[in-house]
Amino acid sequence: MRWLALIWKSLMRSKRRTILIAGSLVLSVFTVAVLQSLLTTLNAVTNNPNSSNRLVVRHKSGLTQMLPRSYEAYLRQQTEVETVCALQWFGGYYQDPRNFFANFASDETTLFQTFREEFGLAGITEAQMKDYLRDGAGCIVGESLAKKNGWKVGDVVPLTGTIFPINPRLTIRMIFKSPKPSDENVLHFHYKVLEEGVPRMKGLVGSFWVRTHRPEDIPRLIERVDRHYANSAYETLTETENAFNLSFVKMLGNIGAIIQGITAAVVVAILIVTGNTMATAIRERTTEIAVCRAMGFSSTRVLALLLMEGVLLVGVGGLLGVLLANLAAGGVRSSLGAAMPFFADFAILPDTVISCMAGALAIGLLATFIPAYAATRRPITEGLKAVG
Amino acid sequence: MILGLLIVLPVVAYLAWLVWALVAYPIPLGYNLRSLWQRKVSSLSTAAAIALVVGIFVVVLSLAQGLSIAFVSSGRADQALVLRPNARFELNSSIERDRMRILKVHPLIKRDAEGFMASAEVVVVKLFPMADGTDTNVTVRGLERRGIGLRPQVRLVQGRWFRPGLSEVVVPRKMQGRFPGMDLGRHLRMGGRDWLIVGTFDAGGASYESEVWSDVNDIMQAFRRESYSALLVRLESPERLEGFAKAVEEDKRLKLEVVQETAYFKELTKAGDPIKVLGNLITLILTGAAIFAAMNTMYAAVAGRTKEIGTLRALGFRQREILASFQWESIFLCLTGGLLGSGLALFANGIQTGTTSFDTFADVSFAFTITPGLMAQGVAFSLVMGLLGGFLPAWRASRIPLTEAMKGG
Repeated sequence: MRWLALIWKSLMRSKRRTILIAGSLVLSVFTVAVLQSLLTTLNAVTNNPNSSNRLVVRHKSGLTQMLPRSYEAYLRQQTEVETVCALQWFGGYYQDPRNFFANFASDETTLFQTFREEFGLAGITEAQMKDYLRDGAGCIVGESLAKKNGWKVGDVVPLTGTIFPINPRLTIRMIFKSPKPSDENVLHFHYKVLEEGVPRMKGLVGSFWVRTHRPEDIPRLIERVDRHYANSAYETLTETENAFNLSFVKMLGNIGAIIQGITAAVVVAILIVTGNTMATAIRERTTEIAVCRAMGFSSTRVLALLLMEGVLLVGVGGLLGVLLANLAAGGVRSSLGAAMPFFADFAILPDTVISCMAGALAIGLLATFIPAYAATRRPITEGLKAVG
Repeated sequence: MILGLLIVLPVVAYLAWLVWALVAYPIPLGYNLRSLWQRKVSSLSTAAAIALVVGIFVVVLSLAQGLSIAFVSSGRADQALVLRPNARFELNSSIERDRMRILKVHPLIKRDAEGFMASAEVVVVKLFPMADGTDTNVTVRGLERRGIGLRPQVRLVQGRWFRPGLSEVVVPRKMQGRFPGMDLGRHLRMGGRDWLIVGTFDAGGASYESEVWSDVNDIMQAFRRESYSALLVRLESPERLEGFAKAVEEDKRLKLEVVQETAYFKELTKAGDPIKVLGNLITLILTGAAIFAAMNTMYAAVAGRTKEIGTLRALGFRQREILASFQWESIFLCLTGGLLGSGLALFANGIQTGTTSFDTFADVSFAFTITPGLMAQGVAFSLVMGLLGGFLPAWRASRIPLTEAMKGG
């Protein structure tokens, strides 16, 4: 602690230089923190603990091919299965095609049981549930979606179908809350609306969401379902919900590699810039350092002081950068989250903060070490002679 | 508007003056450039940091551009797609056979020796295994032989085109690297059948390079499709489009929507918008960081040469000459970085990658394309950094009082 004053004084020797380099660090760390958080957000989508005992059954050729509704009976018979929910991506929009949100035609009788965690069942009353089940033209929406569009229970939402040639007018019967923001950006309506409105969908559905009693049963069940329907007219592809989500995240392309590439470039750039600045700062004080050593400071102590100076500088810069990233998280949620549903959950997690700070401090040490080491190895006499 | 002019005018004037100074004050300028060389380590490390930022800038730009090329180069102004109303994209659309029969012989469609220039097509997506072992959605397009001719940018590279009724496919040459088992003579498994790969094609970067092509009737049978997805037609001229659209939309038997092909692909390009916005934001922020770094180096350079500046002044060089030459020093410093960075970005050139359009729900292959234009943008960008990063230090250098400068050291 008692050396802190000295270190601070050295940093403030050239305020402008310190502020400029700190500004450079803040912006760089900010960028890296945001980019890395994008990556962790995407990883979280494919690693959702709530979905550990759910499976998705779809057509082997992909989601645009349909499966017969009758498969549901077979799935239900399996001893490991708790519930099965038939679900079809409707892909409709409200007023403006740019106004993207997820909307599904789903089996209302099993929806709530299958997605227990997502619906946060605690806040939903019996009466609301009954209202929805009774009204064939009813729908339920998540709270954040309702807020965005100014919807209340009882409002009529006209959806325009893009994949299916129907434009259902749905009455909101319930507004639900979810633990995760991305799960609230959703609208569900009765499967019958789709099945009765679109002749080619009669008796067909895009996917079944199966909830098992125990996660351990999943591998066996996947194997059995796919084998059962192998070589049938409608072959199935069964996978865990996380694997299913991964196939969507992968759709974004190799974003991971791009983000890691940019991060690496930024890290090298900061290393160079910080090293350069520290070298200048130390060169300026050649005489001072020599005086310190002449006064009896051991060269290890001088080295430690200089290193601490670098670490403090980078630490402050990094901390500000991470703080700034936290402030910007809300902006990312509302901008990117509106275009791509995954990013509605965007947040700077403690893990990211820790790794960014650790990275920054390591850079500080590394960047300062070379010029600092050189300064302490210099013969004192030469340092004293040097003209700053 | 006036405010904009107030900001732009002084900048333009300053730039013009700088260029003039390049010729008018050669002596301090030469001195400045030599002193950049004198401080090799410091100059080079700043240039290297700037090079990295410019490199990122160019690569991100090329990513956005590659994505745009993949879509935009696909359309023609005198061609149109007929879709189901509100469908917006081929994949969502469906046109029943009886409507298609009426539509395909519409009098406004252009005719040549072989008849109506129209192709009824079906688009499905199918999961294909990629080289890394995971699956991705790929567009499979069933089309009529006419459809190939309606896309002049598409040309056969190897083998021959598919023949109807034989379960044959042609695949894009660019997909062969990313998807295994797409070689000529091998079979693809789709819709419960094996399809022989009889040819490969190239589409000059257009989005067709992400599609597997076969005969429309074969695909409809295999995927149990009752209806087509869309009709691609050529008209006599782009001006005829409006009349055709009106006729099709108002015909009670049809009630379909007509979209100009260029407009259709423009809409698709928007898939790349989030990447573009994110990329621009990243570069903007990193530019700030790079400018700070450049400023720091220049301030250090000025501070270390107070005595020299004093000497220059004593010799009779004026303040504005010093301002110009220090400004140029910073510009040259950043320019070195910019050239280096643009060169660095060339390493990313030609790397094939893919993303999925959430609208068409299928994979889009595209390449990072580093064009000379993009590299020039990168260099121009480094000039701006040099200008902004160097102005304040150069200003300071020119204002150092003569007496103090002579004392300093």
